Amino acid sequence: MPRIERTADVTWSGNVARGDGKISGHSGAIQLLPFSLATRIGNPEGKTSPEELMAAAVGSCFAMSLAGELTQAGSPPELISVDAKCVVDEVAGSHVVTEVQLTARARVPELGDEDFQRIAREAEEGCTMAHLVRGTAAVTLSASLDSD
Amino acid sequence: MATTRRAEATWNGDLMSGSGTIESVQSGTFGPLRVSWPARTEEPNGQTSPEELIAAAHAACFSMALSNVLAKAGNAPESLSTNATVTFVPGTGITKSELDVTGDVPGIDEAAFRDAAEDAKVNCPVSKALGGNVELTLTARLKS
Repeated sequence: MPRIERTADVTWSGNVARGDGKISGHSGAIQLLPFSLATRIGNPEGKTSPEELMAAAVGSCFAMSLAGELTQAGSPPELISVDAKCVVDEVAGSHVVTEVQLTARARVPELGDEDFQRIAREAEEGCTMAHLVRGTAAVTLSASLDSD
Repeated sequence: MATTRRAEATWNGDLMSGSGTIESVQSGTFGPLRVSWPARTEEPNGQTSPEELIAAAHAACFSMALSNVLAKAGNAPESLSTNATVTFVPGTGITKSELDVTGDVPGIDEAAFRDAAEDAKVNCPVSKALGGNVELTLTARLKS
């Protein structure tokens, strides 16, 4: 089995309350993204956060997983849209990622809703990132077929 | 109070020959970013992937947690430089996230820095979300 490694770099300056940091990925696709505590828990003000990156990771992974499952079932999708929401809450005094909510719409020729719902559930169960974050997060899925 | 952060992704076509886009994120900090299965599992060729994004989330979360642990002990860092490497084995899933941090922290010795880093590794929210499922490793040293 191939082992695939992906690395990201972060620099952080100062204390947690007033400091700030920058995030870059080795692919070059994300570079020097700003983040800070105030914008992580309050208004984002143009700065990303670990939870936003997690939402992007799970959302993009689920889109691939659903494309894979639909293709395997003989119904390759034309278009899939996924909205991923990551929720952090305070539990017993510490911050915990409590939920990742996935909302998906898919345009799939000649597929009925019952089959689609079954395949979407399989895609969620097989989604690498959805599985990964289950240490604390409940992953939920709402999926619908787009008839356009 | 709960904090939420959102991202939107789209995918066109089948898994192997199709491609996707992380269209936008709530903060507007990045996107659109292209993703594809070949770029995810072979050479990235300038494209990000779920693994790179979760590595970014982990490195960022750990760095904030470590700055907090250090500041609480009276040793706020001048700077921390962290990388996270996430290993993905197709068919198996994510097997590991390796954190590597170098700190510029006045008034602290190597052992105390390593203890603080271990605390942050165990307790940062992203570590906890991942922790039950993968091996988390840590290398921590002070800037010489």
